[in-house]
Formats: sequence, structure tokens, C-alpha cells
Amino acid sequence: MTDEAEILFALVSRRYGARLDSAQLDEVKEVVEAIARDAAALRAAVIVDGDEPAQPFVPFRAEP
Amino acid sequence: MSAFRTIRELGADIRAGRLSPVALAESCMERLETVGRALNAVVTVTRARALEQARRAERELAAGYDRGPLHGIPYGVKDLLATGGGIPTTWGAAPFRDRCFDEDATVIRRLEDVGAVLVAKLAMVELAGGMGYRQPSASFTGPGISPWGAEAWSGGSSSGSGSAVGAGLVPFAIGSETWGSILGPATYCSVSGLRPTYGRVSRHGAMALCWTLDKLGPLALTADDCGVVLEAIAGRDPRDPTSADRAYRYDAPDTERHFRFALVRGSVDAAQPAVAGAVADAIDNLRAIGTVEEITLPERPYEAVARVILWAEAASAFEPLIESGAIAGLTAPEDRFTAYARDTILAKDYLRALRLRGVVAREIDGVLSRFDAIVGPSRGTAGPRLGVEFRSAIRGSFPDVLGAIGNAAGLPAIGVPCGFTADGFPVGLQFMGRAWEENVVLAAARAWQARTDWHLRRPPM
Repeated sequence: MTDEAEILFALVSRRYGARLDSAQLDEVKEVVEAIARDAAALRAAVIVDGDEPAQPFVPFRAEP
Repeated sequence: MSAFRTIRELGADIRAGRLSPVALAESCMERLETVGRALNAVVTVTRARALEQARRAERELAAGYDRGPLHGIPYGVKDLLATGGGIPTTWGAAPFRDRCFDEDATVIRRLEDVGAVLVAKLAMVELAGGMGYRQPSASFTGPGISPWGAEAWSGGSSSGSGSAVGAGLVPFAIGSETWGSILGPATYCSVSGLRPTYGRVSRHGAMALCWTLDKLGPLALTADDCGVVLEAIAGRDPRDPTSADRAYRYDAPDTERHFRFALVRGSVDAAQPAVAGAVADAIDNLRAIGTVEEITLPERPYEAVARVILWAEAASAFEPLIESGAIAGLTAPEDRFTAYARDTILAKDYLRALRLRGVVAREIDGVLSRFDAIVGPSRGTAGPRLGVEFRSAIRGSFPDVLGAIGNAAGLPAIGVPCGFTADGFPVGLQFMGRAWEENVVLAAARAWQARTDWHLRRPPM
């Protein structure tokens, strides 16, 4: 487990640990590690400044 | 009398006076209550509403008022589409089993406008799989069962939509796909399933799992029927700002066309061997209607892009349910807690996924500009058994590059039956096209179905 994943798992554990038993915490840890692997894959991909997020935002103005 | 008959066949019988819409609706509802319940495919049979709509269709058609090919045709919807009139909308989740909305989703309203008859709200994986389920028993109505085997999973999350069509309980159903939820059940239930371009169909009134990935689309016995339904439900809706202002007309006439197909190198071999064999045979047969060129895609973290977007948006969409701990009331044990891990998705990583998504969309459109469709397995696995953990790209336990690209880039795809494994489980072939090119993938699927009979095989029920 990377340092980052360890720290992020500690956050989850602190927030929700009281609701979880040890087997559930282990499974949550596996999911955190999977999320960290995906994040690493994304961070390794090359993008440039002009690559904007692909999402629609349209300013709103109520019509009279 | 009416089971396993296409929309066009039923419509011809209705117009010829050989079949009454009321009798047709009654027949479907009787089978939904018996066969449908046995397959765990049904949440609610909407009897009163169905009979009212069927009687109206009968009156109108008798009076010469014809609303088109869906007039008097029964259908079911995945139970994540809101229905008014006191009909519950459960999202497949026990905490919402009695919840009702005040009005119909746009898709249901549009189908009512063309005279279709809503006979059932169909079962689904709880919260459309948004909590990360990993085995079929993840709905308060029980695990969806494929008509092709008492121990075979129907697929998810549009479980009831797949098995109800596959068992001949309704001629078509509406499902939703965020990643694999139309093509998966279409494959496992051996029916045709169309995932439209993102924005083609209004999501207003549909449960939000992931705002930028969710799509609604039809499952039916044939690709042609999928096109008929898509025309009825497509179009701009002011209540869904992501719905596109693009008119859609289904281009139904068959033409002798020579297709240009692309096959992503390695995409067939990545499937289970039993699936890969059937799909490889199917792709060989496609050469009768076009060319098949093997291609290599740019190296991109396609699955990571789709997963991070999906999990981050789902964490937000279901934040009250997760934060409150109400997920503890869900059916699948894993759905009761694994979503807590999503607090670790960083905003910058989500935004990076959205930025890469734009890059992927442009690159894949460049690839597709030379072809009519990319072909490949509509599902890399076959016949998951009830009670057994399945492998899934959404959880990262099985590859699905085409699914990741198609959903992240919002591209249309249709899955159609293309064979069976040695154990008798259905296998599917997908055609994925450029954005807004549903008519092209539908034409390819129609050409495939004109030359094969996989879609005509019926389950041993």
C-alpha cells in the first residue's frame, strides 16, 4: 500500500470505522488501494493545459 | 399467442384485428405474474394503468386514430424510472421499496404519447449497482435469473428488463446503462439491447447514478425493434439539460450496404475462452457484410477514467444514503459498506478523469471516422451463476476496454445475440459507433440478424 493510500484509508477508517468490523475494514482497504491504482494511472497519462474537463456547464438565466 | 413476437408483428396483428391490445396486455401481465416472478424479473405489475392504456389504444385504433408502431404495445421499465399514480419506484433497493413519486419520467411520458402500454416496473440491481455489488443477489426482489438457465444470472443492473424480454414476457423494455447495464443483461438473456449516445434520451425522472455516464435505452427481441423504440423516446427535454437538441428518426429500411468494421486488437482474446470462440466466429461471419480491419487504439487508462468518474459521481449522488449509514439496509452485504472507500477519490483526480475523457472522445472519434462501427464481445464473460461472485470491469476484476471507451465517450452501441457457450449460455456481439450514429449501428445489427438466427432461438423454459 502506498503512503498516500495508507493516509487516505486512515481517513475512511476514522470517519466510518465505528460502523465496520475488521473484515469489512479490510475490504474497504482493498477498495482504497484500487482507487489509488486508478488515480496513479490517470496521473501517469499525459494531458496538456488546453485539455479541459469534458462536462457541460451552461450559465443560467431565467427567461421572462 | 403473443410471447416472443416482435413489435412489428404484434402491431400488424393489432391493426388487422387479429389481436386486441387489452388481450395482449392481459397476456403479458399473466406471464409477468407467473414466469416473471419466478425469474425475479418483476417489482410491480401495473395492472390498472395498463388496462386503462390498453383500452384507450383499442378505442383509438378502432376509431382510426393511429399513434404509430408502439400503439397498443405492452412494455416494462427498469424500476429506476419514476412513475406517478401511486406506482412505487424502488430503485431495486429495500430502503425505497414503498417510495412513490408524483409524476412520470420523461421516457414513460413519451411512450404514453405514442400509445404504448406500461405493464410492469421491472427488477434491477439495487441502486443500479452504484454501491459496487459483486454477486447476483443484490436486489430486494432477489437475484435476477436468466431465462437460459435456472442457475444463470440475468446480468445487471437492468436485470428484469433483460429477462422479461428474453422470456417473452414483454416485447420490449427500457433499461439504463452507466457501464454495461444494458449490454450485459442483453447478452446474458440473449436479446438485443441498444445503448444510445449520451444525451440522446432524456434522463429526467430516472435515478441518478452518475450524471455524466447514465443513459436510457431499449431492450427488445430484434435490433429493428430497438430502433422503433428509440425513435419514440429520443429527443430534447428541457427538464434534462444534457439532452441533445438533435432530432432522431429511425432509418428502418434495409439497404444492401457494405460495412467497414474495426476490431480492436486483443479485445476478443481478453474475453473468457468460451466467449472468445463464439465472438471470433461471429466476426469471421461479419466479413459477408463488410470488411473487418484490426486496429490498435492509443494507450490510455480507459477503464480508470470511467471508474473514477463513475465512483466519484455515485459517491455524490448517494451521499445522504452513504453518510447516514442507510446503505446498511441494502441487500448485498458488500453494498452496505464498500462505498465508504470513495471518500478517498480526490477532486483533482476526478477532474483529470474528465479531462482525459475529452481526449479519449476526440481520439476515438478520429478512429471511428474511418469505420461504421467497432465490433467486439458485448460482454467478455458468460453465464455467471447465482450465488457466485462474478468478475467485473467496474470493480477492476475483468477487462472491458470497449465498455469503458463507449461509456466514457458517450458512444452508441448495440449488443445482439451471436451464439452460445458449450454450456448453453448466451454470448453477444456489439457494434459501437460514432456519437449520434445509432442508425449505423442499428443497420449493422439488422444486417447481422438478417443473416443469422441467434436472435430467434428461444430459451428452454
